[in-house]
Amino acid sequence: MISALKNDLESIFKDIQISAPEDDRLIINAQKDAVLTILKFFKDKGYDHLAMISCTDWIEEDEFELIYIVGSYSVYAPAAEDITSDKSGVSKEAAFNGGNILLKTRISRKDPRFITAIPVFENSEPYEREIHELFGVDFKGHPRLTPLFLEREYKIPPFRKDFDTRRYVKDFFDQIPFVENKEK
Amino acid sequence: MRELELYFGPQHLGMVGNFSITLKVEGDRIIEAAANPGYLHRGFEKLMELRTWIQNFPLVCRINVVEPDPMEMIYAMAVEKLANLEVPERAHYIRSIYLELSRVSSHLFGLWAYSNMLGFDTVAQWAMYHRDLVLDLFEELTGGRVYHIYIWPGGVRRDFPDGFKDRIVNTLHTIGGCVPDYDAAFFNNRLFYERSKGIGQISQEDAKRLGGVGQVLRATGVKHDIRKAESYAAYNSIDWDIHTREDGDAYSRIWVIRNEMIESVHMIFKLLDAMPEGDAYKKVQNPFKWKIPKGEAYVKIESSRGELGLYMVSNGGDKPYRVNFRTPSYTHGLTILEKMLRNASIADVGNIMISLYVVAPEIDR
Repeated sequence: MISALKNDLESIFKDIQISAPEDDRLIINAQKDAVLTILKFFKDKGYDHLAMISCTDWIEEDEFELIYIVGSYSVYAPAAEDITSDKSGVSKEAAFNGGNILLKTRISRKDPRFITAIPVFENSEPYEREIHELFGVDFKGHPRLTPLFLEREYKIPPFRKDFDTRRYVKDFFDQIPFVENKEK
Repeated sequence: MRELELYFGPQHLGMVGNFSITLKVEGDRIIEAAANPGYLHRGFEKLMELRTWIQNFPLVCRINVVEPDPMEMIYAMAVEKLANLEVPERAHYIRSIYLELSRVSSHLFGLWAYSNMLGFDTVAQWAMYHRDLVLDLFEELTGGRVYHIYIWPGGVRRDFPDGFKDRIVNTLHTIGGCVPDYDAAFFNNRLFYERSKGIGQISQEDAKRLGGVGQVLRATGVKHDIRKAESYAAYNSIDWDIHTREDGDAYSRIWVIRNEMIESVHMIFKLLDAMPEGDAYKKVQNPFKWKIPKGEAYVKIESSRGELGLYMVSNGGDKPYRVNFRTPSYTHGLTILEKMLRNASIADVGNIMISLYVVAPEIDR
């Protein structure tokens, strides 16, 4: 069933690679300009739930990979009026067979900028905020890219691969003297 | 009237755990709320990149203190998916029973928090006592009361001990026998109704738009549960129902939790009856020498709070390359909480927050 969706995508969008490793998984590699349009496409198809946005640091290729994971709320027992008739020939079941869509795109590691997905999925706000804080990706149009978890500023955002956690812990906490030493 | 900025938590009676909210108030009306997580940010996802696949289990279960079991399950599922490991049929049943027990204990804990907050101290004590009875079962099965590390890639760590089935049934009968008392003292109590009806209300569209899952979504009438939608373990081998309410307020959410708890108990009885004989785990190679094939996986399950997801990337090494959890409290505690608090009264902050079932460690990770 997911193959119908795959064909549909391939006919509309150029420059994307799609693979369906399982019946309920669709992995799409897209150019960064196309991401919001594809997300919108899925939302219109009934995949109305953005499960998460993740980021992977591929340091050897000098790129960040952003992963948008989209699912559907209507997988189980959709109300009759929720099922929209489909113009492109994809059957109703195909649009609502559930599963997850992994939409991936790569951005440069040197100048990590992207655009916010809030206009399409409002709940992308905290995810983008987290990625900004932990990976240093700047999301254009995001209303508040303020720190979410951390209290200090770091030269290298701490979830990047070149941030050495163990070294940081040693450097930072070794400066705090032990209580016994202090008394002496 | 003068606007004030008010810090709600982390040291506050109405606050659960290490979390705070900055409220902008006028009188006792909230104009704007900003959630402030991070008090428990331990960087687990980064630390996991430095540990081998099997060494990560003690970290994984600490992401959610209240119910660590779905965390173990999801991590094991992701590893199994990447490494193509098979799980024996009996282990699927044991996992489902174990996860439902965990759901009961987590819901009882949630009931403790909620009833305590409303001032129903007796009900809170009952819930805590009954949760302890479930923890006794966990202790016998796994050796640990809170953190169990029982689910394992390839099955579960050990099979049920002799007579364990009967002890599960006994414990659940003890708890189930008190449902009329709970109903009389709490669920059908006028005070509970008055205090929670219409509080923290959210419409179905808003819940979907803001990424609501679990009870928050089911309390608005959406029949969505990962256990049905994308069944895992042994959930599709038995017959069970998804419980929903229509109003989307705190009252509906707590009733959904109550009904789910009872459904879980029925599910455990059905699973115990249908459980096949066989191995509880499949022998796998020495976990300390594991190398998981290159690839990526996204797995999801229904924890007692909603959709729990895990995105995992392996580069073929002995450690994960990237681990990222999608926890239900994340959207509930950040986006939805902020929306619900707008225009609410200060007295309702704790009520709204606890009825959303937010667990702070899950947000911070």
